[in-house]
Amino acid sequence: MEPLNLTNKDQLTGKLRSLYESLGYTRFSMRRFEEYALYLENKSFLKSDSVLAFSNPDGMLMALKPDVTLSIAKHARPERDALEKVYYKESVYRLAPTAREFVEIEQMGVEALGAIDGYTIAEIIRLAIETLRAVGKDYVLDISHMGFASGLLEAAGLDAGQQEALLPFIRQRNAHELAKEIARQHVPAEYAQRIAQLAGLSGTFPETLARASALVVSPGMEQVLAELRALYELLDTLGLAGCLQLDFSMLNDQSYYNGVVFQGYVAGAPRVVLSGGRYDLLMRRFGKQGDAIGFALYLDELTYMLAEPSQWDADVLALYRAEDDVAALNAAVFELAAQGLRVFATSNPPRDFRAPTTMAFDGRTFREVT
Amino acid sequence: MLSIALPKGRLGDKVYKLFADHGYPCAAMEQDDRRLVLRDEASGVQYLLVKPSDVAIYVEHGAADVGVVGKDVLLEGGNDVYELLDLGFGACNMCVAARVGFRENFSAPLRVATKYPNIAKQYYANNSREIEIIKLNGSIELAPILGLSDVIVDIVETGATLKQNHLEVTHTILPISARLIANKASMRFQAAAIQPLLTALTTQPMEGKNS
Repeated sequence: MEPLNLTNKDQLTGKLRSLYESLGYTRFSMRRFEEYALYLENKSFLKSDSVLAFSNPDGMLMALKPDVTLSIAKHARPERDALEKVYYKESVYRLAPTAREFVEIEQMGVEALGAIDGYTIAEIIRLAIETLRAVGKDYVLDISHMGFASGLLEAAGLDAGQQEALLPFIRQRNAHELAKEIARQHVPAEYAQRIAQLAGLSGTFPETLARASALVVSPGMEQVLAELRALYELLDTLGLAGCLQLDFSMLNDQSYYNGVVFQGYVAGAPRVVLSGGRYDLLMRRFGKQGDAIGFALYLDELTYMLAEPSQWDADVLALYRAEDDVAALNAAVFELAAQGLRVFATSNPPRDFRAPTTMAFDGRTFREVT
Repeated sequence: MLSIALPKGRLGDKVYKLFADHGYPCAAMEQDDRRLVLRDEASGVQYLLVKPSDVAIYVEHGAADVGVVGKDVLLEGGNDVYELLDLGFGACNMCVAARVGFRENFSAPLRVATKYPNIAKQYYANNSREIEIIKLNGSIELAPILGLSDVIVDIVETGATLKQNHLEVTHTILPISARLIANKASMRFQAAAIQPLLTALTTQPMEGKNS
């Protein structure tokens, strides 16, 4: 597949829409707002914890939605043993990362809810890879599994508070402070050495998998690695393993995510552009039967990649005089446009207007002027 | 080409020396040059000289792949970057200091003067202490002397400035030193350049390699 010309964001979203629809995902549309309480109760699921709230005419506190997955998980009603596949393209409202101001951000994503099996997981991960490929030709999909780090931390007998103290350093790949924090939390010696390695446990799949197997202390962790190995072999068979990396320093919130989690990077964008994973625990929170897996593409992170400024305002600057016959003029302009050119017709061009070709109307047709 | 953001000034000079000794010299850095971007094709690096408090911003936004920054700046900015190494130098402590003999009045919010409002807020929130932040940009030690604040939160190297102003450390919040940070996407796409740098910095300098 040819990488997309990124001058046009609509082109990208259109392409992704047909990709998702071609695999049976249906568009999930939703309201712009939800009850504020939804976000209050699930604050740690959100990318940023500021929510734009307002009260509705009945005095109920509402919020412009800062996230789509919560709404889908809340409203989806997957039948028992069945599967629901949806995609969305929605605006979300969040604090801009650089200024204390709310911004509207476009987000696109897919979710599969209900009876999730091995095939579905592979389908979603393949869709994530295809999504990244549509964005840029150089991309990486980092894969991790929530059960690995938590298996190790639990085997070490650490309580929730102690785990919370260690997690930020694992996420930052901050081995030096992780080692200090491990000592501060009095982690038993046989586990301390293993946990300390979590911060650096990332890289190419087979090599990282091999290093990870040295840290296994429970059958649960062994099973996690077997699952990851099977996933890698599957994607390798499909010829999709080239962009995969294994990264155990990537840890999503443990109260929502379980199983496989992943993040995508595209060369040219400095931060994560795609993020997703298995979130059965979120479904449980809403009292839903099924499991769930999905991902979101952060279109805002791509804005500066996508908006490559064009050197020209139009392909042709088509000049006419005020006294020219409008019917003939109109026919000539539309004829030029039908050739696939971007035509800017005017009798009075804006200052600094830039077009590679300037044409003048001679009463019947446009001729190039030099 | 690997882009490295260095803090302008004394810390940056020290960091450059460390990098040069470990195989990443840049001839232009050795001259008294006023340029802010200095390249060395042979070493495959480009040094960016930026304001110390901006290093993490350059790295977070990918304008630099890696950078060196004080832990104080990193904590205050809360930037989303990887913190890969503690380079050890520039060591000091983030401390709470007050006038010698100061007795805290727990029936009122504590007035805290600082250049680091986020660090101060976090520290006192963890201690469930209500505070009023007075954000200053320099000469923090003056605040308790003039009664502008009860205490200050600031970095303390030797304590000489505190002593001269009749202040003393009441609590140490955390130790500070220079850290090597990296952009998250660069860790994926520039790993082939960053990994050798990490390896070089964690091993002894190789004399002659940079000649």
